[in-house]
Amino acid sequence: MIRIALPTGDLRKDTAALLDAAGIGIDDYTTGSRALRFPMLDGAGVARVFRERDIPVQVALGNYDAGICSLSWIEELTQRYPGHEVVRVRNLGYGGHGLWLASAGDEADASLRIVSEYSQIAETVARRLRLRRYRVFPVWGAAEAYPPEDADVALIAAADAAAVEAHGLRPLARVLETSAWLIVNRQSLATKDLAPLLSRLLATGGAASAAPAISVPATLGLRESRPRPERTRLRLALPDGHAQSHTIASLQAAGLRVPGYDEGTVVRRPRIEVDGVDVKVIRPQDMPQQVAIGQFDLAVTGRDWLFDHLVQFPSSPVEEIIDLRRSIYGLAAIVKDVQADTVGGALKEWRARSDAPIRVASEYPNIADHFARERHFGRYSVIPIAGASEGFVPDDAEILIEGIDTGSSVRANKLTVLERFYESTNCVIANKQRPEGALRPVFDALVERLRSGAAAPVAAGGGA
Amino acid sequence: MGSPMAEASTTQRSRGMRDLLPDEMDRMRTVEDAFAAACRGWGYREVRTPVIEPLHLFTSAGTLSPQTLDRVYSFLDWDGWSGERVVLRPDSTIPAARLYAERLDGGRVAKLFYNQNIFHFTDDGSSREEWQCGVELIGDTGAAGDVELVLLALETLKPLRLSDITVRLSHAGIVRSVLAAAGLAPNEQSSAYNRLLDGDMTVVDEVEARLPQLNAPLRLLFEVEGKGSAYIANLRGPLTAAMPALAPALDELAFVVAALEARGVTPAVQAVLARRFEYYSGMVMKIEAGGGRVIAGGRYDDLIGLVGGKRVPASGFATYLAPLLDLLPPPTRNAAERRIVLQPEGESAALLASMYETAERLRSAGLCVESVEGMDSVPTHRLICREGSPAFTLVWPDSQEHFERIDDVARVLEPER
Repeated sequence: MIRIALPTGDLRKDTAALLDAAGIGIDDYTTGSRALRFPMLDGAGVARVFRERDIPVQVALGNYDAGICSLSWIEELTQRYPGHEVVRVRNLGYGGHGLWLASAGDEADASLRIVSEYSQIAETVARRLRLRRYRVFPVWGAAEAYPPEDADVALIAAADAAAVEAHGLRPLARVLETSAWLIVNRQSLATKDLAPLLSRLLATGGAASAAPAISVPATLGLRESRPRPERTRLRLALPDGHAQSHTIASLQAAGLRVPGYDEGTVVRRPRIEVDGVDVKVIRPQDMPQQVAIGQFDLAVTGRDWLFDHLVQFPSSPVEEIIDLRRSIYGLAAIVKDVQADTVGGALKEWRARSDAPIRVASEYPNIADHFARERHFGRYSVIPIAGASEGFVPDDAEILIEGIDTGSSVRANKLTVLERFYESTNCVIANKQRPEGALRPVFDALVERLRSGAAAPVAAGGGA
Repeated sequence: MGSPMAEASTTQRSRGMRDLLPDEMDRMRTVEDAFAAACRGWGYREVRTPVIEPLHLFTSAGTLSPQTLDRVYSFLDWDGWSGERVVLRPDSTIPAARLYAERLDGGRVAKLFYNQNIFHFTDDGSSREEWQCGVELIGDTGAAGDVELVLLALETLKPLRLSDITVRLSHAGIVRSVLAAAGLAPNEQSSAYNRLLDGDMTVVDEVEARLPQLNAPLRLLFEVEGKGSAYIANLRGPLTAAMPALAPALDELAFVVAALEARGVTPAVQAVLARRFEYYSGMVMKIEAGGGRVIAGGRYDDLIGLVGGKRVPASGFATYLAPLLDLLPPPTRNAAERRIVLQPEGESAALLASMYETAERLRSAGLCVESVEGMDSVPTHRLICREGSPAFTLVWPDSQEHFERIDDVARVLEPER
């Protein structure tokens, strides 16, 4: 059985066209079916859809023989694990863009703050720049919104310099030229007949070329900034994505109006109708760290993300100060095709089968690690994933640590919940060291309004 | 669980990590003891730095080379929410410089030695953990300090009775002044230096093309390994005329070499010696035994300034234990040493207590006494202990003797004084 990992998202349309041209078209993939697994090659192969960043990891692990994804995600894996098992076969010629270093000005902290979804590449860039001191903030998204207040430099994907400028940033250097690549697992290539797949894909044309390497400028040309004056305005972080509708409801219940913070649009700096407060919209996953380092005074996020942050950094100074009681769901340990109905029973079942590490897949890698340690998993590995999670068990992982609400997705995918171990709602978080001086009354007043809104009855359907 | 990568390995040991077995530890202690004794004899005092250090100590230009930096074990600590990473110590000199800058800088010379491990990723099957004994001489000691370090390094090896010891010396200023004379910008110098450190000799041709005023080929410097003062004298005339900045480096090196020659040590002289470390600023040394590097070090006058201290001249060296262990013969037991295994005849608690009292009495007489026979026990005698009479029977290969009093047993066994 030949197994290929295919991308969802931006590369899907061109990848479907490539498969059609190669004579291995998968109708449901082409039409955008929500299914995650498709038979192909007349039953001799299977295709599985992943978020792009998960594909190099899955091919490196040997779960898939081949994959198609952007070179940037292959490089991201390479910078962390240079000895990985991924062979770059061909540039497929579509999905071209660059990874750009960009700033909002010409000054930077003495300890340069770099923000990126590509945190491993950012680490490499920082090392090669021989920066005397730096910090890399790995984020789930919205990196372009961080400079100048929350980062000096962002490493972002953009088509060209003009696209970087469209974010209001100054392009400093393009560090990688990236496009879609066909990759294969080294062991599979060495030992398994992949010809039915490879020969057809390679016959679609395109020139063989060496993969572009990371290129780092001699210097960023940024001046060391003077110590920043104390902030005079309170900073509030609001979430984008799925959490946005619940947050809008929580703000409305508190009588807070934030024009521009609407579902369906992403305005990174909407205006809140409260004097002395600035708002920025970022990913909820990234908020606890930003609050911990004092970039924001308050943030509306999920308790699950605070939990993930606190198991990684137990002495972090972030705490939940208001339960907003919306976006309700649980974190659960999920399996498929397991006889046992407890985690302990499942462990025995897997151990009886093999001594190999138990693969724990999760969008919450720190919680997954914590869960596996506390439940005495013994030998295990955590596979961080970016999405399309319900397709991971049982083929690509033994167990999935995932958020569940009504359980409809669990039932639809014939999954089993072994243990629901954490309850999450949306919440307001703050640094234990509260703002001082003129900021304090603004902070207290805003917290009071959010708290009174949280105390109001939540209409039916307030959960996820 | 069917993926090829997920198969169970045959060992529980982490890849690249090495267990040290009793025989290896015996050899390791032999090296460490010789090292510590020599250092103490020269007035050095022992320190130990933490296994975890901030990553930024190692990232500035002039500290670790980019190749080494790409292989460090760095991670976010449990309180690393600020985003600054920490690292498993990839080198001992930089932490020692940090320790001096933070804790010891009182304007006087610090003479420190250490015995600790460093970590760096390897994927060629070699060990990712490396044990080093090292010396740091921090303060304004001038070229005399360089001479002291070479002689001390040799003295630490003396008790190990190694054959085929070679001392190689260089000076970091040689390469740097050649590259500067060729008009390379600082970042180009750094790149060319790294290529030279990596053994890429095409750099020499490129540099030579930029120095038309040279009246002697640079290959005199980069392709020849010279011997002692004579070689340095041969280089000085032809090369310093075109590159006057080369003269101070050659003069410093000549001073050290002359002093060593007067002590009966004739070092080999090379232009490039230090690999993968950018912090060397003056003399650089390498000592080989059995054809492999066992000691390396040199002068690093800029390093303490780079890790947050005042600019204080310093130099040091590290002894690499793994290659030394391979050169040492297997440990042998002292033929004259008496090793006694006690055997109780009976099972009462009183007998056991009396047996331990017997063991203590015999150990106080300088004997090796085992009350449990281990896998490596090679007893010369066995002493049977019982509650009745005779209280003790001493058994050795060709005879046995009975005793009532332990002092009488001790008198028989006691080593001759």
